[in-house]
Amino acid sequence: MPSGSDNMDIELQAVKTRNGDHEPGFVSYDRVTGNGESVANSNPDASEKDVLLSVQIDGCNGETTAAGSAAAALQNVGNTSEEVTTPNGETVASSVSEESQSILGNVSREGRRIKKELNEILFWKVRLWMAIIFVFFLIFVVIIISLLLCSAIHEDKDEKFDPSLFKFPLYFNGSFQLPNLVYTENLLTLSFNESQALASDLQEKLADLYRSSPALGRYFSGAEIQAFRNGSVIADYQLKFLMPEERQEQLKNYILSREMVYNVLRQFLYDQESEESGPMYIDPVSLNMFLKQ
Amino acid sequence: MFLWQYLSLLLLITVHVCKAQDCDEFTDLDLSHAIIGTSLKTRLLLYTRENATCGKLLSHTNLTANPKLNLSRPTTFVIHGYRPTGSPPAWLDKTVQLLLEREDLNLIVVDWNYGAANVNYFKAVENTHKAADNLTAFIELMRKEGVSLSSIHMIGVSLGAHISGFVGANLMGDIGRITALDPAGPQFTGTGPDERLDSKDAQFVDVLHTDIDSLGFREPLGHIDFYANGGTDQPGCPKTIFSGGSYFKCDHQRSVLLYLDSVNQTCTIKAFPCASYKDFLDGNCLSCERFGAAGCPVFGHDVIRWKDVLLKLRQTKSFFTTNGVSPFCMTNYRVEVVIWNEDVRWGYITVKLHGNDGEAVATIDHTAAKFQKFTETRLFAHFNKDIQLVKKVSLTFSTGNVFKPKYKLRILRVRLTHLEREERPLCRYDILLKENKEVTFRPILCEESNF
Repeated sequence: MPSGSDNMDIELQAVKTRNGDHEPGFVSYDRVTGNGESVANSNPDASEKDVLLSVQIDGCNGETTAAGSAAAALQNVGNTSEEVTTPNGETVASSVSEESQSILGNVSREGRRIKKELNEILFWKVRLWMAIIFVFFLIFVVIIISLLLCSAIHEDKDEKFDPSLFKFPLYFNGSFQLPNLVYTENLLTLSFNESQALASDLQEKLADLYRSSPALGRYFSGAEIQAFRNGSVIADYQLKFLMPEERQEQLKNYILSREMVYNVLRQFLYDQESEESGPMYIDPVSLNMFLKQ
Repeated sequence: MFLWQYLSLLLLITVHVCKAQDCDEFTDLDLSHAIIGTSLKTRLLLYTRENATCGKLLSHTNLTANPKLNLSRPTTFVIHGYRPTGSPPAWLDKTVQLLLEREDLNLIVVDWNYGAANVNYFKAVENTHKAADNLTAFIELMRKEGVSLSSIHMIGVSLGAHISGFVGANLMGDIGRITALDPAGPQFTGTGPDERLDSKDAQFVDVLHTDIDSLGFREPLGHIDFYANGGTDQPGCPKTIFSGGSYFKCDHQRSVLLYLDSVNQTCTIKAFPCASYKDFLDGNCLSCERFGAAGCPVFGHDVIRWKDVLLKLRQTKSFFTTNGVSPFCMTNYRVEVVIWNEDVRWGYITVKLHGNDGEAVATIDHTAAKFQKFTETRLFAHFNKDIQLVKKVSLTFSTGNVFKPKYKLRILRVRLTHLEREERPLCRYDILLKENKEVTFRPILCEESNF
């Protein structure tokens, strides 16, 4: 029983120190306060016993420790040894389990302290922990809001333009065929109601298309049906676009190129259903267009 | 009634027993053999159109002993690879069947399962040299009988590819063709040409790589080297180890399945010669002009048609993408986009083609594409199937950003060009693509363009 004999040594020491002190029991107990076991130790009976025991052992000289006396001693050894070694600073004696217990005790004590501090009331019913959580929450909200704001107020450069700067006209002329219409003399001159109605319908159709075009819409100025000709009905049209002063060449090569203006109309004509559009049906194959110089 | 059932069952069993007596099967070993280790035994099983499902064991010394071996026909050897569990290869029957359907051959399955079945891979590697020597002796015998070595085609899988190489080297490279299906990498990577397959081992060597990052060989080995999906991860194969054994062999085994699809002519896979897989995905290697009217080489069995031009080029690396399941071929389109946004836009484009025969999807997401004002951005789209007549097209633009503002791609023109069919490209003008919003339209045939 190595631990037992260890304890015995301590006890011997303990006795010496105690002999020096006049109030052995009480001194040691004071120091152990907070060690959990102290409650039990503050029993005056136990202290009496301790003293008695130590006296006995003192007499035995340690070496002659009988199993019986060791066992008897062990009942109190735990308490005594602790109490005494701590003041002496000899930590060698305290067993591992006790040490870890005391660390745990320290941790829980620390925990309790933090808990207490967190529970401190700042003002009204607001406690410290509430304030800390609120600060974190606030940071999070600010981040989210700023991100949302950033994307919401994002300014799309491509949607900004000043129509008053668009002054330089560009004309496209061409013709298409309306195969579902029957040609009459009335269509020949645009002064007749019949031809005027048809012309304005077609102009509307063209204007709607180009005005709603994402790329061409801002430059589009107007569509005009200039004449109807025989051949089922062939309509001559003119499209007018307005360009700003700067970067006209680039504009003419790409966005306002004949290829774009022509194909936007062409794909629109292919999209139309022949049955739905009835007499207004425009034959996509018949479409032609050229840039008016 | 019961009697009939009983009799027919009896009949079946008799047939089966008779058949079993007649046919020689591929050696079936199990894991215990592999653990103990096996010593090499090279068996040659002959299959012809007359006995397509019933192998005949060939004598190594007397070619005339088997009347089914008709030396006036071309001969193809199929050589399997490492068999860690000792089981016969799963693809064997299908391979025999499809090759014989395609051509009237002497198909000889080289069964070196005794030798390949070993948990110790190094032992199996050692055995490849011995198996090659056995096979060389047999082919020498064929040569003595008047067989031209040019009529011999060896198809080697994994370690079998290197066996083919050793045999070819033994025969001074006079063999007609070696097809290597994902030649083994471990123990061969970094070795000299004598220690592995190389393009001098046959008159024409075509190689397919499907698993260069683990079991396969990374560097080019033949006259033409195909890298399916870049040669690393094959679509449809498990990405994690949780899927069990197939995690290890799926990529490697895919090589055989791809080749069988080409034998079966399920569909043709056009391979694009290119310096790297990234360049290929970026669409920088779509030109096939150097191959003349034939166009870029087709992967698989029929690449032999490009033999002359490929020999002239000496060494060609080529790439293609596949689907996860058969039919593996994808349909390739060139997609060209011109935008008019002031600022540069980066993002991914998903294209869908709609037709009477369903819908095909291609997502171009290997890297974010750059779109710049009035500059044509060329993308390379791989569709999972071919739509004969495209009625409608859907486009989706995405950037992958969550918190950034929703950008718009302002397209002037998008042009889709089918890379295999000779037909007019499809165009659409003036499209506004909002991020993550699909836009569907009816394309028109492109006319001449100026930008």
